[in-house]
Amino acid sequence: MRNLLNFLLKYINIIVFLFLEGIALYWLTNGNSYHNSIVVKGMQGVTKGLEERISNARSYLSLREINANLVSENSALRNRIERLTAREDLRFVSVEDSLFRQQFQYTTARVINNSVNRQKNYLTIDKGTLQGLKVDMAVTNGKDVVGVIVGCSGNFSVAISLLNLDFRLSARIRSNGYFGSLSWDGRNYRHAVLNEIPQHINVSEGDTIETTGYSAIFPEGAGIGTVSEVRKSGSDFYKITIELFTDFKKLQYVNVIGNLKRTEQLQLENQLQ
Amino acid sequence: MINSILRYGLIVVLLMLLQILVLNNIQFSGFVNPYVYIMIILILPSIIPAWLILIISFLTGLIIDLFSGSPGMHASATLLAGFSRPFVLRLIAPRDGYESGSDLSMAVYGFRWFFIYAATIVLIHHTTLFFLEVFRFADFFRTIFRILVSSLFTIGFILLIEYYRKGK
Repeated sequence: MRNLLNFLLKYINIIVFLFLEGIALYWLTNGNSYHNSIVVKGMQGVTKGLEERISNARSYLSLREINANLVSENSALRNRIERLTAREDLRFVSVEDSLFRQQFQYTTARVINNSVNRQKNYLTIDKGTLQGLKVDMAVTNGKDVVGVIVGCSGNFSVAISLLNLDFRLSARIRSNGYFGSLSWDGRNYRHAVLNEIPQHINVSEGDTIETTGYSAIFPEGAGIGTVSEVRKSGSDFYKITIELFTDFKKLQYVNVIGNLKRTEQLQLENQLQ
Repeated sequence: MINSILRYGLIVVLLMLLQILVLNNIQFSGFVNPYVYIMIILILPSIIPAWLILIISFLTGLIIDLFSGSPGMHASATLLAGFSRPFVLRLIAPRDGYESGSDLSMAVYGFRWFFIYAATIVLIHHTTLFFLEVFRFADFFRTIFRILVSSLFTIGFILLIEYYRKGK
């Protein structure tokens, strides 16, 4: 017994170290997809309050720019209404149309926590399940891709940012329709990489890259960025660097897009596999 | 005794706030992420036993983890830094050894000693942290570059704070 005690006393440091390091690494390997992490979930109530205050103070600094964006988006929408209403004869009749079903729902949310300097960036927004948000909804800035929601609590949601090494998105070149896989290489927060575009295709700088809508998360044709550099790598594919439309460093308000037909599509696809 | 604990507690709170409210938000160019909170471990008085340093390191990392939404990265990196602290101290001990109960500060042991001490611990901490963050050895040299640049800034900040702490 005495020997055991002596042994414990002698190696107490290493034992404490290994024990605590074990806890930390267990948390790291199991909780890395963020929404799985129970501890983070439990503490979110505490830290979110503070984060919300910080973001409140910060949002004052860029009000002018947000206003400018809103005004331009308003006028774009007004133009669209004008076009649509002119075509219909402005009769006050509502028709139950059983052929047309709305596919996407939109809402807005404020970004209360965001980062661009890590290798795995996430952003937190101030709406959650109580406001109807769900996992796997798309997050956009206007019409441009920002990320995908991976976890929701009552009033908050965490979205995986495009600037995350684990983020994959199917994207295509608007001019010719060829699609590849978009990811972030962790280097520059303004650039992403488009892979799997075969080399027999003409790609030129300035081409627009947009979403394909295959994943049933983003609507088809949401903007991602423009081609800024095309390189031939050793394989048969180009390595295309894309300058992103969204500037993640000054992200304040985002749109959240829910796909109402997503479950139907996934069900069918799973049935056939 | 009480006085020094209070003063140390104040420094801990200030460093935490600096890290969470300011430095976590600067996001300069994606390469520079100073983690100055590691200074909490650096300036712990030498009379504190090693196991208590480990627990303090773990809790410090845990708090930073919770506020930056990273699972266990800071906790394990800070813990390793706290674990290696006694070994580093023994390695770079001045010729006359350490006076018992003295502050591990620039004022007592000089700039050169403090610089080597801070740089070693910061490099250990940042290396662990950045490799845990990417969790892969692809882009090895870019990670090394990030570690070096961020360490440079962290050490700069620490020396600056230490310089002003000396005045007290």
